[in-house]
Amino acid sequence: MRKHIKGTLTIEGQEIVVTNPDKPLWPEAGITKAMYLQKLAALSPYLLRYTRNRLLTTIRYPHGVPGESFYQKNAPEPLPLFVSTAIHDNIRYVLLNGLPELLWLGNLAALEFHPSLHLAGSLHPCEWMIDLDPSLPEEPRIMEAAFVVGEVLRSLGIESVPKTSGATGVQIIVTIEQGITFDELRSIGQFVAQYVTEKHPGLFTIERLKKNRGNKIYFDYLQHYSGKTLAAPYTPRARLGATVSTPLTWEEVSQNVSPSSFHLLNIVERLKDKGDLLEELPPQPLEPILRHLAGRKR
Amino acid sequence: MHTVWKGAISFGLVHVPVKMFSATEDKDISMKYVHNVCGSPLNYVRKCPVCEEEVGWDDIQKGYEYEKGKFVLFQKDELDQLSEQNSKNITILDFVDLKEIDPIYFQKTYYLSPDQAGSNAYRLLLEAMRQSGKIGIAKIAIRSKSSLAAIRIVEECLVIETIFYPDEIRPVSQVPNLPEQTGVNEKELTMARMLIDQLSTPFDPSKYTDDYRERLLDMINSKVAGEEIKIAPARQETNVVDLMAALQASIEAVKPMATDPGETRKPRKSARKTAAETAKASGDDSVEGKPKPKRRTTKAKKTESGS
Repeated sequence: MRKHIKGTLTIEGQEIVVTNPDKPLWPEAGITKAMYLQKLAALSPYLLRYTRNRLLTTIRYPHGVPGESFYQKNAPEPLPLFVSTAIHDNIRYVLLNGLPELLWLGNLAALEFHPSLHLAGSLHPCEWMIDLDPSLPEEPRIMEAAFVVGEVLRSLGIESVPKTSGATGVQIIVTIEQGITFDELRSIGQFVAQYVTEKHPGLFTIERLKKNRGNKIYFDYLQHYSGKTLAAPYTPRARLGATVSTPLTWEEVSQNVSPSSFHLLNIVERLKDKGDLLEELPPQPLEPILRHLAGRKR
Repeated sequence: MHTVWKGAISFGLVHVPVKMFSATEDKDISMKYVHNVCGSPLNYVRKCPVCEEEVGWDDIQKGYEYEKGKFVLFQKDELDQLSEQNSKNITILDFVDLKEIDPIYFQKTYYLSPDQAGSNAYRLLLEAMRQSGKIGIAKIAIRSKSSLAAIRIVEECLVIETIFYPDEIRPVSQVPNLPEQTGVNEKELTMARMLIDQLSTPFDPSKYTDDYRERLLDMINSKVAGEEIKIAPARQETNVVDLMAALQASIEAVKPMATDPGETRKPRKSARKTAAETAKASGDDSVEGKPKPKRRTTKAKKTESGS
């Protein structure tokens, strides 16, 4: 039987209860809850930027990784007073707006943060993400695939930032002007998806059924939609190596870096060095593409 | 006729292998739903209203709604288990008089033919039933549903009629407004009976035809002949590669301000080169955000053209 240790942290004037700080959350990587909370604090200026005022889904691993887990959409009880929530489709979501909230969830062994792609109460996407999802547990061509997509976007005048999903995939993020709709982004996504699958039929697929995807990388342009979630930039993942969803430079992608080399134990250092690559990307001109695609359809 | 079921009738020790065929067919003229704007027949899509996505068969399961919004789910093999036990048998439970079964019970009729070496047993059962004037009540599982059935004889053929279970028949007591059993006017009754007598004839099914279907067929033929027809257009497969080329060209045409906000109006080629060289030369990252990602992009572009 584990001895129960309980203490409190005071963060921004809020008291946060910490239980079992020595509990191993990623035993394989040697990360205890106390370490995790420290890493979350260091990640918070980056991570919170992409979770603030969004409907949060977390994945909790009460006994660490690997182990039982569950998706938490409804705000966990008891709900501390400093936590704001928003109701959407009868679910009371946590808004992950500050460090106290983050550490509170961290103490509950919430290891992954999957925010909605729009702000609470808004219908419009905050940014655009293309999700490249390999069918193989380890896909050596994932960076090559990301690079291809990045090049196609660039040929359309769109700069983007790739990020590891933290699991096996890569997401490609485009900063957008506010007011563009999910459906508009989907139409561009579908177009790019069809183009790259036609150009590289051995590499990409847009097949919806998993069993028919073979070993190809699924170009998921459907996941980016209202009510859905994708792993937030800088969220840790409940993988053995405590990987973190990490924005990359295109140069790193062309050097075929491995998604597993970005994890909780080295992310803080990397962020000190590289900063938030995403924040540096200005909104991209999608209007001309939309106009062209719309004109074509009629 | 194609076989819809294969198995055996069993009663007592007698075992009659049979094949089953539908005895009736629906001659309704079927129509499709067509988009009246372009004339294409519509696709039916199974869509999840919550995920807002089309759902493939792989992601579909049967579920029973035991309470509003709450389902218990079943795997296909779980359901199969239930019906599998006697799916190959028509088990005769009782023999009764046909008159004892009200027509309300009858559902659908199938012909049975002897299978394999079953001719003798088939003949025996048929003859015995004919002589006794009885029909058999049996249980049968067709596809997943288990049904009650009556086995009887039509000419030289065994016929099986699926019949409703008693609890599937609604009682007459639920019909509203039925008149009380009071007396009727004797004179009116005589008149009504005379009328019935006059209209009484032997049953000749060939007299009756489906007028609606005939009128509809006429209308279809005249529309086809008069070429008052709508042909679905060939589905337009936009060539996505061509579309991309056109799009790239149109974006290229307005490029300078779109992609190189920081650069002055140098020729693109040399600008690219210098940027790449600078990126190579300076190992450290510059502190300001702006030029940094730009440099990487141009570098990456170079790498791609080599691959």
